[in-house]
Amino acid sequence: MDARFTETLRPFLPFLEGDPITADTPLRELGLDSMQAIELMFALEDTFGAPLPDEALVEETFRTAGNLWEALLPALPETAAHATEAA
Amino acid sequence: MPDEGRAVLPAGTDARSVVAALADEGVVARLYPQGAASGLDPVLLRQLLGEASARGPQGLVLALLVQWATAVPLLADTARTAHAERVLHGALDGRTLLALAATDEGSGSDLAALGTRVRLPEAGSADGVLTVDGTKRWVTSATTADHALVLARHRPGRHFTGFSWVLVPLDAPGVTVRPSGTPLFQGSGVGHVVFEDVRLDREHLLGRPGHGLAMFARHIAVERLASAAWGVELCRRVVSDTARHLATREVDGTPLGRHPVVRQRLAECTARTAALHALWTTSREAVAERHDGASAAVLKATSGATVEHVLTVCAHLRGSDGFAADGVQQLRSEAGLFGIGGGATEVVLDTVADRLPAVLDGLTP
Repeated sequence: MDARFTETLRPFLPFLEGDPITADTPLRELGLDSMQAIELMFALEDTFGAPLPDEALVEETFRTAGNLWEALLPALPETAAHATEAA
Repeated sequence: MPDEGRAVLPAGTDARSVVAALADEGVVARLYPQGAASGLDPVLLRQLLGEASARGPQGLVLALLVQWATAVPLLADTARTAHAERVLHGALDGRTLLALAATDEGSGSDLAALGTRVRLPEAGSADGVLTVDGTKRWVTSATTADHALVLARHRPGRHFTGFSWVLVPLDAPGVTVRPSGTPLFQGSGVGHVVFEDVRLDREHLLGRPGHGLAMFARHIAVERLASAAWGVELCRRVVSDTARHLATREVDGTPLGRHPVVRQRLAECTARTAALHALWTTSREAVAERHDGASAAVLKATSGATVEHVLTVCAHLRGSDGFAADGVQQLRSEAGLFGIGGGATEVVLDTVADRLPAVLDGLTP
């Protein structure tokens, strides 16, 4: 998960407080309800300039930070994805 | 403020004819200067709704508001097939009237609980047929529109990814439309729509499967902006009419309008209307251009409370005259819509509560 992703995600998790975001971070338990998940999806699209793939539009995608990041990866431009993997 | 000296609304009280005439005069194109999917001109929309509200019936305002603030922009944002594009062009040309069927039987403003279903075709299936079943209630323009944008679930559960939009011709086999029977909102074409095994080809699917609630959330913000614009114009007119009426109605040789209590109540209504106007003015760009949901929710909650208060006070001040046909008491009943339609006050306050720190942080000079 790159910094832009976690920075975009953090404001949507009001109960996270100062804890780090990891792949296992549960999103719903930390305050991401369904309607706020919509705003998060639009925020990620704005940040990365790419929509989530159709097959990723399922509840499971929004269960953990890692699930969401994995779902987003195929939508990223190749250079951005490689840079993320290298980091 | 809209330029009141230059009316732009064509003659007529029928939504279809007004929509057609506005398109012919190029006003619809001015309403969407960057294209209907990229926001609208909120000041022009307010002027149109204000003129329609002054002319009446208020059902006309409702039909125009749904067409321009929600249905056309939503269709423009989701039209990905040749069929949807044709319907969109018809709406922009003023030949096609649209309805927006979101509110379900039973679930009301709780859209995540709606029961209307769409069965999507299997990926790669030969027939590509989708099927719609369910009931939508209180649909504006249901009895007059050509097509309805229908929000339906393609998957069980409350998660937002389980919903999609379908463009349903209201004369399709399996569609039944009934007038609502309410004596209010004449001219709105409000009714209930039943879908029974309505089979449509995949050209009728709007946008991406799973994006239905997301698209709704984006576009309902502009509907709330439009609703608040209507609310400001309604309050301005009703306070002004009430003040004029009370200036001529004498009690014991003195016009009621000079009574200190009456003056203060009218002044208080004017102050509340001015506050709503100020909020609308500061919110309009964020909502019309960026679909800012928090600003729209604050505006919707404020307009619901303001319109209810102003109409209640003015109806009281008009006394028994207010019960005349098409009098202010009927308007007051219709104004109850401001706290219900487009998301009940409790629903929009929930949205504000979710974003409390951001809303408060935004209140800086």
